Amino acid sequence: MAQRLPEVDVVVIGVGMVGSIVAKELAASGYRVVGLERGEARFTVPEFQSPAIHDELRFSVRKALMQDNTREPVTFRNRGAETALPIRRWESFLPGTGLGGSMVHWNGQTYRFQANDFELATRTRERYGKDFLDPDLTIQDWGVSYAELEPHYDRFEYLLGTSGKAGNIKGKIQPGGDPLESPRSRDYPTPPMKEHFQGAMFRKAAASLGHHPFPQPSSNLSRPYTNPEGVKLNSCVFCGFCERYACEHYAKAAPQTIILPVLLASPNFELRTGCQVQRVNLDSSKTKATGVTYFDAAGREFEQPASLVIVAAFALNNVRMLLLSGIGKPYDPASGSGVVGRNYAYQTVSSVASFFGEDVIINPFMASGASGTLINDFAGDNFDHSALGFIGGAYIGAVNTNGRPIQYHPVPPGTPAWGKGWKEAVLRHYNHTVMLVLHGSSVSQRQNYLDLDPTYRDAWGQPLLRMTFDFPENDLKMARYVTAKGVEIGKAMGAKQVVGSPRKAPYTTQQYQTTHNTGGAVMGDDPSSSVVNRYLQCWDVPNVFVIGASAYPQNATWNPTGTLGALTYWAIDAMKRKYLKAPGPLVSA
Amino acid sequence: MSRPALCRRVRGAAFLVLGWTAAALAANSAGEGKARPRTANAAPCEACHGAHGEGSPAGGIPRLAGQSADYIEKQLRDFENGTRESPVMRNFAKGLSDSERAQLASYYASLTAPPAAGAATADARQLGRGQQLAFEGDESERVQACDNCHGPYGIGLPHSAPYLAGQSAAYLANALRSWREGTRKNDGGKQMSTVVDRLSDADIAAASAYFASVDTESN
Repeated sequence: MAQRLPEVDVVVIGVGMVGSIVAKELAASGYRVVGLERGEARFTVPEFQSPAIHDELRFSVRKALMQDNTREPVTFRNRGAETALPIRRWESFLPGTGLGGSMVHWNGQTYRFQANDFELATRTRERYGKDFLDPDLTIQDWGVSYAELEPHYDRFEYLLGTSGKAGNIKGKIQPGGDPLESPRSRDYPTPPMKEHFQGAMFRKAAASLGHHPFPQPSSNLSRPYTNPEGVKLNSCVFCGFCERYACEHYAKAAPQTIILPVLLASPNFELRTGCQVQRVNLDSSKTKATGVTYFDAAGREFEQPASLVIVAAFALNNVRMLLLSGIGKPYDPASGSGVVGRNYAYQTVSSVASFFGEDVIINPFMASGASGTLINDFAGDNFDHSALGFIGGAYIGAVNTNGRPIQYHPVPPGTPAWGKGWKEAVLRHYNHTVMLVLHGSSVSQRQNYLDLDPTYRDAWGQPLLRMTFDFPENDLKMARYVTAKGVEIGKAMGAKQVVGSPRKAPYTTQQYQTTHNTGGAVMGDDPSSSVVNRYLQCWDVPNVFVIGASAYPQNATWNPTGTLGALTYWAIDAMKRKYLKAPGPLVSA
Repeated sequence: MSRPALCRRVRGAAFLVLGWTAAALAANSAGEGKARPRTANAAPCEACHGAHGEGSPAGGIPRLAGQSADYIEKQLRDFENGTRESPVMRNFAKGLSDSERAQLASYYASLTAPPAAGAATADARQLGRGQQLAFEGDESERVQACDNCHGPYGIGLPHSAPYLAGQSAAYLANALRSWREGTRKNDGGKQMSTVVDRLSDADIAAASAYFASVDTESN
């Protein structure tokens, strides 16, 4: 029997990036906020310190910072006719857990989407005609525009201290930045990271082909920075342990380094760790949330009543929380009806390996999670797709993040997989190879979705999330096209051998790709094709906001975190200006 | 090991500035064992930093023996260009050619020397606080562990992070204060000045005393 706790104003499920930002804003506005985090509390000191944090076996191979998939995995299948099985070891995507969430182990790559990404369906129809796309694709507009989000992108970047070079300030093109970006109101808060050698090689080669290289925006900072919350960050030392690791230097933007010191000092906020939320509770009308039910680390069950519930538990967990709570109609791929779980999308990542002579010394370990150089010439809708038969694109860059010894050992095709031949090839190529990343968009399509698994349950007895996903043909075509462009750049860099590897189907969970899981609780203007309205408020239960990349109707070319930060502040703004003054639907259905 | 060739101009400067003593020269030419290369041209250095690069803890003169060559070379450059202010060292450093700097640096990197006598005394509480800063840092001050960059027990992480273990406490404390005061600003990412801004005088003393106390032989 659950113990009922005193009611609070707001309960936040998940104290990661979104949860800590929302909680801080609402606590500062005078509301009593409880943050429920399933993982443990952890801070830069002592948990993230060296040498323990640089343990590649523990963090990269055994994935110590990730969601515990012995207790709470995700089941996976490529298509509806198959039986999904639990992912017992994370490989393709790495959902985090613990205070600070996945932002603790991210790379700090902090992009904006472009204006037309937010109106993808409309713009595609306008530019390429209504019959251009495969009818199975379910892309749609976001219900919010880039211009509306711009101030919130700006606020988020200044919270993080992002290091970069603007390419377009209020319509004026800036030398050195990305000339293809949508206009921003001002430059980045800190200058770009130092360019590593492979970045410089890439920049020269890309420019020689007429492309527009620019420095990767990085939230591992190029210099010390004090953010508007008064929290100080240090500059990055290029240790090459960002992704899958926490930063020991206070140099990577994460809740611990940007906002938790302020949030945890607030008398209006209470953090509870080790709390596994089971569901959002609804009243008998099913249109109002009354709070949440959770188990603490000792296995005791609690009911936490609240007037407002923020679901901020990472894209996949957000969708599962809605399904477990009976909020919104689950998506049915057969009929195409229902919304929760619909439009799950991902990221289509390809690569180009460029193998150089032994006279070219790359030093791949001299890097950070975001210190590369890239181009957007083949990203999004920056090129004409009329004759290509697909939409979307990829950024192409020398954006390698590390040269860690266990997992970084590029070798050419044909190399033996083990033994003397493999070892010799690793020695020969480790320091003489550039791996270009082609980070591609992902369209939503009818057959890709999330629902509850009918068989497998978590350690608390709740059904697991089931993922049904394979790469849409649109994205495979895109991958082939951009990979050919990447190969051209590799050759222009002077490599002796250039090997393009366009992403291929079937999607596998056995190979790392990216943790950019999106969709499933998408935003929009129409309740029949979205779970939340343009302010990320549930259509069906207006005192529940679902904030995450779960809101993306499809995924754009770029890493999703910058856009999620913008959406978070956008939703908070709507809560503070409208919802909290007069609770109720912010958009009439 | 080749012999570092320090130019005469610098040696002259040394005499002018410090009023070099005959004893210093004598110490240089005498007592050279087989294990140690001849160092006649490092004489200006040896007068203060000791015949074996052991430094002078009481005088706040840093130990150089076994220090990272890249680090020493960079410091010599920075004394000259002024990003590390030291009138004495500037005079020594300003006349050096690139190859002289490199030779001096690799020479001192190659030396071994016993721990210098006269390490500062510190009480257990101070050493405990120093060890905490070294190993772990302090979340309330938002200071990360010194050892993150300077290696376990402060043994140094070449190329850029010097060892601190067994270093003169007075030198370390002076160096930390110089970051704070801005007379030393030769770290590209402002790593040191950022950290030191958050350290109290007591923390500077504690960290310096702790690292001075680390027994480099057993670590």
